[in-house]
Amino acid sequence: MHDPCNYGRKGFKTFGHGYFEEPRWITQQCCENYVEMYPAKMNNFCCGAGGGAWAMPYEQERIFYGRVKAKQIKDTGAKMVVAPCHNCRDQIMKSLDKEYGLGVEVKYLWELVADSLIVEPWSEEEIKAANKLRDAQYERDDVDLDQEWG
Amino acid sequence: MEALAINRKESKLRVAPEWADVCFTCGTCAGGCPVTGVDGMDPRKAVRMAALGLDQELVDSRFPWICTLCGRCEYACPQGVEILKMMRKARGLRERDKVPGPIHKGVVMDLERGNNLGIPRDDFLFLLADLAKEMDEDEGFPGFYVPVDKKGANILLTVNSKEPFGEPDDMKFWWRIFYAAKEDWTVPSENWEGVNWGLFSGDDESMKIFVGRIVEHLERLECKTLLLPE
Ligand code: SF4
Ligand code: SF4
Repeated sequence: MHDPCNYGRKGFKTFGHGYFEEPRWITQQCCENYVEMYPAKMNNFCCGAGGGAWAMPYEQERIFYGRVKAKQIKDTGAKMVVAPCHNCRDQIMKSLDKEYGLGVEVKYLWELVADSLIVEPWSEEEIKAANKLRDAQYERDDVDLDQEWG
Repeated sequence: MEALAINRKESKLRVAPEWADVCFTCGTCAGGCPVTGVDGMDPRKAVRMAALGLDQELVDSRFPWICTLCGRCEYACPQGVEILKMMRKARGLRERDKVPGPIHKGVVMDLERGNNLGIPRDDFLFLLADLAKEMDEDEGFPGFYVPVDKKGANILLTVNSKEPFGEPDDMKFWWRIFYAAKEDWTVPSENWEGVNWGLFSGDDESMKIFVGRIVEHLERLECKTLLLPE
């Protein structure tokens, strides 16, 4: 579990609550063997791409920054990293994993939940009701799926 | 070199010279920052520069942009020095056309077209309908569709423009959860961007406009909950 700075440390500073326990609880409902990085929570290290750095032209510096996160991940021996933030996920999955040869799977927290679900299809009535709402909406918004891109 | 007048009014970063005494120069901040040493800089030096009136030098340096505004230094500082606020202020003082990378361009795009990548409304709605059809017909979620501008929905969901732009299938993670939970949710047809780049470019005014749009959606659509998965 990677603690995004914005939901954790900075959330705590701004709103008086850091979201540390919630993602851990959710992850533990989905995974049997949960391990912590060290340090975590308020002293967690940034993935290295925060503050817009993922989009910034300072690529070498971003990768250099991420060496600390990469080592933290490696030291856990975990096979999967859960990242509850778009930006952290991109940095860990698309950059750090390759640059530092981590060989880990990286998932959004909500991706982990979606992948853990056993989905029961809706009932006939529910489907009918939803189709009706959908058709009315497409009519209102002028959405026509049969029409090719024009 | 000319003598510098240092006082709070003069300081563009609104750093008072008293900071020079408040900061112990203990280096706790620098010790815990992963980019200490890059360009010969670190947060302690940045604080010193600001306290000594070298505002413009700090604004012109790369450091406030290589810093990720992670806040680790500030949390650890024994003196409560507001390092983060200072860094962000330094970003805000950069001339807008000298903001590195695409983040300011994204802000301008969002102001003009409602999302950072300028995706038009019709393309967005078509994409949502197309992906929903896949789930409905082929992926085991019969009846699924994306409710757009649905009044009275419980959850209002914002979207990260990188997903409709480049990773559309990733939007389905949340959708699958909503389906299983039979959640009452909706997406706005316009101004749905969830990424507020004004936060990172140090642009308070634009940031307020983007937040205002989301509040407007919540009021107009009478949604109870905001889900902003950034
Ligand atoms: S941790 Fe605080 S007191 Fe110590 S050098 Fe940094 S800003 Fe100064
Ligand atoms: S906020 Fe910036 S200066 Fe402070 S520890 Fe994080 S990256 Fe370093």
